[in-house]
Amino acid sequence: MKEPAAPQAKITIPIHGLGNFMLETGVALIRAGASTKRIRITLRRISDAYAYHSDIHIEPRSLSLSLRRSDNPEVFNGTRIATHPVINFKMISGISRMSWSIVEKPWPEEEMWKELNRLKDLPDYPRLLILFVVGLAGAAFCFAYGGGPLEMTITFVATFCGLWAKQELLKMNFNPYLVTYFSATTAGLIVILFSLANNNLTLEHAVTTSCLFLTPGVPLINSISDLMDGEILNGIERGINAVMHSMAIALGLSTLVFLFNLIA
Amino acid sequence: MDMFLTIFIKSVWCGIAALGFGVLFNTPPRSLLAIWFGGFSAGFVKYGTMTLFPEMGIIMSSFLAALIVGFTSIPMAHWRHVPPVIFSIPSVIPLVPGIYAYRAMLGLMQLTRAGNEKFGEVAQSTVYNAVTTFFVVMVLALGVVLPMYLLRKESVKKIRWGNW
Repeated sequence: MKEPAAPQAKITIPIHGLGNFMLETGVALIRAGASTKRIRITLRRISDAYAYHSDIHIEPRSLSLSLRRSDNPEVFNGTRIATHPVINFKMISGISRMSWSIVEKPWPEEEMWKELNRLKDLPDYPRLLILFVVGLAGAAFCFAYGGGPLEMTITFVATFCGLWAKQELLKMNFNPYLVTYFSATTAGLIVILFSLANNNLTLEHAVTTSCLFLTPGVPLINSISDLMDGEILNGIERGINAVMHSMAIALGLSTLVFLFNLIA
Repeated sequence: MDMFLTIFIKSVWCGIAALGFGVLFNTPPRSLLAIWFGGFSAGFVKYGTMTLFPEMGIIMSSFLAALIVGFTSIPMAHWRHVPPVIFSIPSVIPLVPGIYAYRAMLGLMQLTRAGNEKFGEVAQSTVYNAVTTFFVVMVLALGVVLPMYLLRKESVKKIRWGNW
């Protein structure tokens, strides 16, 4: 990696200020579900804008950073631990825009912190809207896989309840894999209860699609992306995380299949 | 005509499913329309190829659909000023083969109870469903990330149209 030539940046900010800001930004990206390469290039973009050279070590749950500049004997070293991940594409998109804006015209330190804090405080979509739209997505899955209107309605209700259970369990700080297991069980159970009330119902489409909202799509795609970028350890960690979630879904459904004796 | 209408309606619902994931992943509101379109395109390509060219099978159809989503996410990212993954990940999730995964799981459970007579048959269908699920999921992820590697750029901002 070529070191940037000594100060070209019009605004200079203290090395510690920039270092802490970059650590906080990196950790926010890890939590939001960005791939390793995206985190690295975003942070490097920011350090280059202020003519600092950065060495970045990224792990799935932590970030270490070293900053230096040829005209300054000071060096910044720091590590930050990321708390549990919450997928947040508004954060990834907001940080990406901020970093490009910094490249065009370096920002003063307080402006950067203000923007990062603004992004952290951005509200999520209203809970009821999320439940409704994800329920509708479940119904859509059901239709795409050949389900009829009745199965779609049941899938909607099951997805709605499964996601509601997931949100409540996450609030109670349960282990993430247990959350996935219980959410899959809740969604599947709703479908089975409906089917007990109506013998003519074909279970398969509704059961399979009611759990698809738990699909670990982000870790899975990030895993492939990391592996392709040579970030093998991070890729394996993310891949295994995705497999564990998939197994939790399968185990949740297996429990129901066993309890209600659904094997033909 | 009925066949195209079915594909079209399925694709519209795939778009709705993608939109649901967009909201679940807290995507910026300005990208939601593009995500719907991504899901629609993915469904249209997958179900279109599976209907018109059944010999391609679900794995190649899914790969083609994910690849189209991967490529379309680049101009979308330019248009909405967000990274391409923000479109591509929610758009391909409707293509996850839930039915195959479920059948594979049921098959594994059946294996524990199947007698000698049925064991081979159950094992065969279980392996088929599990392998199909695995490959479809792999090609979905690969299809989404491949376009950026093919264009050899770190960021969509560095892509200049007509200068590849």
